Amino acid sequence: MLFMLFSNLSQAVGLPPLTHSLTPGETVREAPALRFRNLDDETVDLRDLRGKVVVVNFWATWCPPCRREMGSLEKLYWAVKDKNAEVLAVNIGEDIDTVFSFLGTVEPSPSFHMLFDYDAVSMDTWGVKGLPTTYIIGPDGRIAYKAVGGREFDHPEILRKVIDLTID
Amino acid sequence: MFEMKTITIVSILVLSSFSSYADVLQTRRVDSVTGAKTWEIQVDGVFFSLTQLLPDQVRAFYVNRGFTLAQIEPYASSCVYMTVLRNDNAPGVIHYVSGNWPVSVNGRHYELVPVNQWVERLSGSGVKKSAVIAFRWAQFPPEQEYRPGGDWNQGMLFMGLSAGSLFDITAK
Repeated sequence: MLFMLFSNLSQAVGLPPLTHSLTPGETVREAPALRFRNLDDETVDLRDLRGKVVVVNFWATWCPPCRREMGSLEKLYWAVKDKNAEVLAVNIGEDIDTVFSFLGTVEPSPSFHMLFDYDAVSMDTWGVKGLPTTYIIGPDGRIAYKAVGGREFDHPEILRKVIDLTID
Repeated sequence: MFEMKTITIVSILVLSSFSSYADVLQTRRVDSVTGAKTWEIQVDGVFFSLTQLLPDQVRAFYVNRGFTLAQIEPYASSCVYMTVLRNDNAPGVIHYVSGNWPVSVNGRHYELVPVNQWVERLSGSGVKKSAVIAFRWAQFPPEQEYRPGGDWNQGMLFMGLSAGSLFDITAK
């Protein structure tokens, strides 16, 4: 047991760092259903992507780590899009104009599917407790990895794990 | 001009099953612009911090999400902290449940106010649905599992206390 007084301390630090690891899915769990409209008002259904590795990221524009990791998610997409992999970013509760405005500020600007869960229903079905949360779905439709909190998705450790899944 | 909160954390008690005083790093810093204080601790591969949020910061955040000033005032004028919990390399999974983090004032113990209480209150008072969703998910999660290697969350934590209170919080 530790008792810690914060009375005589001083050390400045910046924003919490984005981390760069993925944790294996706690159980061999089938990915829940996911079916929403994208920016072009087309329906995207996770079931139609069976056979591919799919990165599913839950986010919102007002969430600081979500904003910070978005550019790295695009870099991950660049690295894997020709390797039978997709990225789906599911926005929680916001409208298209809000999201579109934000995307224009991201460098590089996301080119992967941006989906809209206006009622936040996927948070329950997927068991998301906080934003951002990201799942990596294997070609078999099961959750292979999970990441709670912001990540550097273009970190070599994450890229390797995603690419290895496409090979498996 | 920012309105300052006067709430001060007297101490943070961390109950850890992972051992040792040796690796404890504690810091406290003050934002040079706003005067808001941040308390941080790193122990046994776990990082935890609380940063005072000023009422104007909270108002601005939620008005931009669709609240009116009147709707968010009861929350914004109370004691809210930006909270970060991260499992860098603890020996195991951290299971966080907000009800297990008692707050004590003058020896009396309180549980953190459940997020759902706020959500129900706001939902019934004419707040736009998108604004309630933003409120719900901007809060520090009421429960979560943080696996070693960097799982973490950042969110707002409502202490359920009035301005001017001195309190201890136990993180376990």
